[in-house]
Amino acid sequence: MTRNDAEIGVVPTSGAAVITGRTTMRCSGSIGVVAFSAALLVKIASATAHDETKYPDLRGQWTAIGGSVRYVPDKPRGLGQEAPLTPEYQAIFEANLKDMAEGGQGTDPTTWCLSPGMPRVTNGYGEMEFVITPETFHILVFHVFDSRRIFTDGRDFPTDVDPSFLGISIGRWIDTKGDGHYDVLEVETRNMKGPRAFDASGLPLHADNQTIVKERYTFDKNDPDVISNEVTVFDHALTRPWIVTKRYRRSRNPHPWWIEDNCMENNYHIRIQGEPYFLSAEGMIMPAKKGQRPPDLRYFNQPPK
Amino acid sequence: MIGALMVICGGVKAAERAKYPEWKGAWERWIPQVSVVSPSGLRTPGGQPSFDQTKPWARGQEAPLTAEYQKVLEDSIADQASGGQGNNFDRARCMPTGMPHMMTFGPLEFVVTPETTYILIRTQVRRIFTDGRDWPKEIEPSYAGYSIGRWIDEDGDGHYDVLEAETRGFKGPRVYDASGLPLHFDNQSIFKERIYRDKTDPRIIHDEVTVIDHALTRPWTVDKRYVRDSNRHPDWRESSCIEGSDLVAIGKEMYILRADGLLMPAKKDQPPPDLRYFKHDTK
Repeated sequence: MTRNDAEIGVVPTSGAAVITGRTTMRCSGSIGVVAFSAALLVKIASATAHDETKYPDLRGQWTAIGGSVRYVPDKPRGLGQEAPLTPEYQAIFEANLKDMAEGGQGTDPTTWCLSPGMPRVTNGYGEMEFVITPETFHILVFHVFDSRRIFTDGRDFPTDVDPSFLGISIGRWIDTKGDGHYDVLEVETRNMKGPRAFDASGLPLHADNQTIVKERYTFDKNDPDVISNEVTVFDHALTRPWIVTKRYRRSRNPHPWWIEDNCMENNYHIRIQGEPYFLSAEGMIMPAKKGQRPPDLRYFNQPPK
Repeated sequence: MIGALMVICGGVKAAERAKYPEWKGAWERWIPQVSVVSPSGLRTPGGQPSFDQTKPWARGQEAPLTAEYQKVLEDSIADQASGGQGNNFDRARCMPTGMPHMMTFGPLEFVVTPETTYILIRTQVRRIFTDGRDWPKEIEPSYAGYSIGRWIDEDGDGHYDVLEAETRGFKGPRVYDASGLPLHFDNQSIFKERIYRDKTDPRIIHDEVTVIDHALTRPWTVDKRYVRDSNRHPDWRESSCIEGSDLVAIGKEMYILRADGLLMPAKKDQPPPDLRYFKHDTK
């Protein structure tokens, strides 16, 4: 780590500005002194610190506009999403909806507290926090396993990393207006595993897990409390790339509450031999579907009570 | 002139930012020189990874427990020896580990901003607020607790080198390690930490943790260490407790799922689950 001895005190001859590195300062003095000080500080700062003025100020708590239940927030759930599914995956989806209507969980993996994965986490579950470092754009969410790292350090996609529900995300900042401030973050995510669904209706992605997700986050200085995220999904369950725009709104509460949302807490779903069951309030196993048989207890010596 | 002032102000902001330490990268659990491989394949001083990293887990921690809570530990160990989960039941069913257990495993990532230091640990996030706020009048209890901290420049060189933090506002139950080494069920724990980089070996971060808890006879201080992963692009592995778990909690009982998906007892003579709700539905 380099040291900035000069930041401790810069005393111009006119006695105009003493810059101590603290947050309070006096800015006065001759133009020459000001210019010299500016140049020195810029050099020191650029040598040692992340220039956060180039990045949008995203401090605060963000939530999804339109809620997080549906992938396309402004369309009805389920078939109303009008997902461009292939006939094969449309059939899988409809079978899943039928199972859910009968009390099952269909193809939604988050019932069992598995990560929603990509692209579903872009729905914006819970309260989100965006933290920017030069190397990584962090999206922090306490939901199931939703927190993401989007690497912006110029790396290539690795070839030897195990697939994951969230995949590997690599992004790059863009200054579209040429004003020295980044206003777009483009991201690509690959290397996913499954099963994954677009939302809680179980809208499925392909079992081959060859999904690629591209995102374009737009940060508008004129509307700094809204972020747009244009999400494009390339997946073999789809007949074409599916483009959906998500939007997130910021709360201006200076000390927002970050809820610890624990999936397993108060989760009354269990699965035995691939079958879903419920747990009653007293902790006893119950059928999830009409006519559902109880689990096979052949390995227990004692008869059930 | 305005442009120059903006540059100055931006430079001051950057200079202020430069006072904070650089703790980038992945920080793995420190392992003592004398270690063994645990049944789960991890290197430890003995048993599962422990709160005091220099000592084996469970009784080996020599935790200053009250007599009452020493019994809780012994009962937990006995239950685990017979196939149960003891006082670690909630962890076994993938509830959050919370403090202090969440600080046991790596890799950790420290993300330092002037307002907050984030400690990212697998699926969990700790926020240590350093923006000068007071304790809220009411804290929604959580497993990770609510943390307020302050940065200190101990050596007076104009750079912060120690983060002091206090954490309160818990729910539980919480444990120190997988033996079920218990914290008090009243959840009145307070944690005081001093987090700093080792002055002679910058590959090490220290987290000196003092636990103040009613299950203890005195405050318990431990120096937890983390070692920097030298990989420029660390593997932030997606570690999901529930994935691959063969345990099923039904009420207060934990069972095991066999590879064929059938339920089996975890303990000798464990009764099967009560199926009273299936009486009318079974054929």
